[in-house]
Amino acid sequence: MVLVLALGDLHIPHRASDLPAKFKAMLVPGKIQHIICTGNLCIKEVHDYLKSLCPDLHITRGEYDEDARYPETKTLTIGQFKLGLCHGHQVIPWGDLDSLAMLQRQLDVDILVTGHTHQFKAYKHEGGVVINPGSATGAHSSITYEVNPSFVLMDIDGLRVVVYVYELIDGEVKVDKIDFKKTATSAAAAAH
Amino acid sequence: MRFIDETNRASFATADRDAPKAEMGKKGVPEWMNSSLWSSSAPSATAATSGDVDRITRPSPNSDTSPRQRSPPPPPLQHPSLTFVTESLSPPIPPPNASKPEIGGDTGAGDDPLSSSISAAEISRFSAEEISRQSQLLSELSKKVIDLDELRRLAAQGIPDGAGIRPTVWKLLLGYLPNDRILWREELDKKRNQYQAFKEEFLVNPSEITRRLDESTSSRHELNSEGSEALHRLELTDDEHPLSLGKTSMWNKFFQDSEVIEQIERDVMRTHPDMHFFSGDSAVAKSNQESLRNVLIIFAKLNPGIRYVQGMNEVLAPLFYVYRNDQDANNAVFAEPDAFFCFIELLSGFRDNFCQKLDNSVVGIRSTISRFSQLLKKHDGELWRHLEITTKVNPQFYAFRWITLLLTQEFNFADALHIWDVLLSDAEGPQETLLRICCAMLILVRRRLLAGDFTSNLKLLQNYPATNISHLLYVANKLREV
Repeated sequence: MVLVLALGDLHIPHRASDLPAKFKAMLVPGKIQHIICTGNLCIKEVHDYLKSLCPDLHITRGEYDEDARYPETKTLTIGQFKLGLCHGHQVIPWGDLDSLAMLQRQLDVDILVTGHTHQFKAYKHEGGVVINPGSATGAHSSITYEVNPSFVLMDIDGLRVVVYVYELIDGEVKVDKIDFKKTATSAAAAAH
Repeated sequence: MRFIDETNRASFATADRDAPKAEMGKKGVPEWMNSSLWSSSAPSATAATSGDVDRITRPSPNSDTSPRQRSPPPPPLQHPSLTFVTESLSPPIPPPNASKPEIGGDTGAGDDPLSSSISAAEISRFSAEEISRQSQLLSELSKKVIDLDELRRLAAQGIPDGAGIRPTVWKLLLGYLPNDRILWREELDKKRNQYQAFKEEFLVNPSEITRRLDESTSSRHELNSEGSEALHRLELTDDEHPLSLGKTSMWNKFFQDSEVIEQIERDVMRTHPDMHFFSGDSAVAKSNQESLRNVLIIFAKLNPGIRYVQGMNEVLAPLFYVYRNDQDANNAVFAEPDAFFCFIELLSGFRDNFCQKLDNSVVGIRSTISRFSQLLKKHDGELWRHLEITTKVNPQFYAFRWITLLLTQEFNFADALHIWDVLLSDAEGPQETLLRICCAMLILVRRRLLAGDFTSNLKLLQNYPATNISHLLYVANKLREV
């Protein structure tokens, strides 16, 4: 039972001042084992805050990040799953499923987490999953101002992942659940 | 001395051979025997007079009525080798008080690697008594309906290590097994199944639970290599997500419990680090630790009022050890559930000691300690005055551990088991007997205590010296009559 928090596009302090209070109340240290962040934090204070939630923090570089040392892409293995991380502004057209699928094949991962569009999305595509956790602060994106704050928590348990989607709609936190699992054959195929 | 742990057995055997013979004998007794503790007369290993037991009348040397009436033995047998060699070197000197010499403990003489140094007569006398007690116990146990009072009486004299009697006797004394043999099978099955149910309920993490709940629903996507589609979302109407802060949320409870679980795990790791059974990298040790952990976690979850308190692992350890080493393999496999229920039973008399809020109440630990203090005052006013008033050694400083942990920390494991035989045999619960034994512990070292100041007394009591357990229990029993 490994809990992985996926979030990004906070744009603090440029477009938002802080995470919504209700989100902050829920994010307490000690529960989460890994954090993967798509990027655009943008400042060190946010990095420190995330680090306080969980020491295992992975970040990729967004175009507004002030720390230039974050990598463009990152892969990590958690349990039976390979996760890939990228901010997404590099993949053109932004948010296009087929282009993201190319990135997924390139990184050779089961779950690809990208951001930049500030819209939550979860797609099953060609043997893998593409997840966009949206913007955790609800900051406006290059495309639209209508953004609901959202983030994602994945519970990885063996060959199964339960994705909990937390969205702040009209001041209330709504939680949705997505359930998927890797079949033995795809796992075997991945092993080659 | 009992050798339950194999490593101890091996090392002790070699110690025997290495014991410098030159030190033995009447004149050249080792330094520890010379301490004021033991004798007021000749520093002989066979000094029968022990100032400490002045107050306790010694039985007549020829009393054979009760096996408990052993004559005050030679000084504590940390080194049985010394005693044996002494006796063989000084044949003209009769063994102390013509009756049975104290060889220490109640182990079957056959187990004793030092038996070769004992004269044949002594062996036969020792074994005879040992065997008679063993057969008495066995005969009692084999009856269809066991007389618990009789069993208690026999157990109070100590349960022999051999013949796998101890696990069964403890289970009977703790009320886990009914005294009617026919009901045993049914009771055991019922309890063991109940434990299994507890395990399912309490030891499963929320992730597992949600998985099982979702097995039926077909909303699970499978990642196969065809096509693409949006993954549909199920709205969660209940509050069951990992970050939930709701009081009833299983996730929230899980994280709150994780602190307790961490504490339990840490303590389990630290239980008896010197014993291979409990500690080390072997698969056996790991599985035993796992069992201890499970029992303690389930206990903590079933008792939210008291949860887990440091020290409970020490109270559980002897129970689990005894049941795991049951010679009947069918029972040994179920050591975990058996130990769980017996642990609950044992703790039921003591749980108030562990509850912090009750510390100052009539049933709490403070009141128990003051009762202990009164007991000491009654039996040995001089010592009491010296300890509490002159040197200001507050019984809380030493007796706390003695009482809450049932003396498991003060003696080696084997002796602790023997003490527990006596504690468990008390029909009114171990508390009274425990206080008497603690009193006896003080009385046995009264010489040193009376001569010492705060620091030395506290040091002595917090690291109680190894003594002859039978003698200690004998003294404690005597206190009952006064």
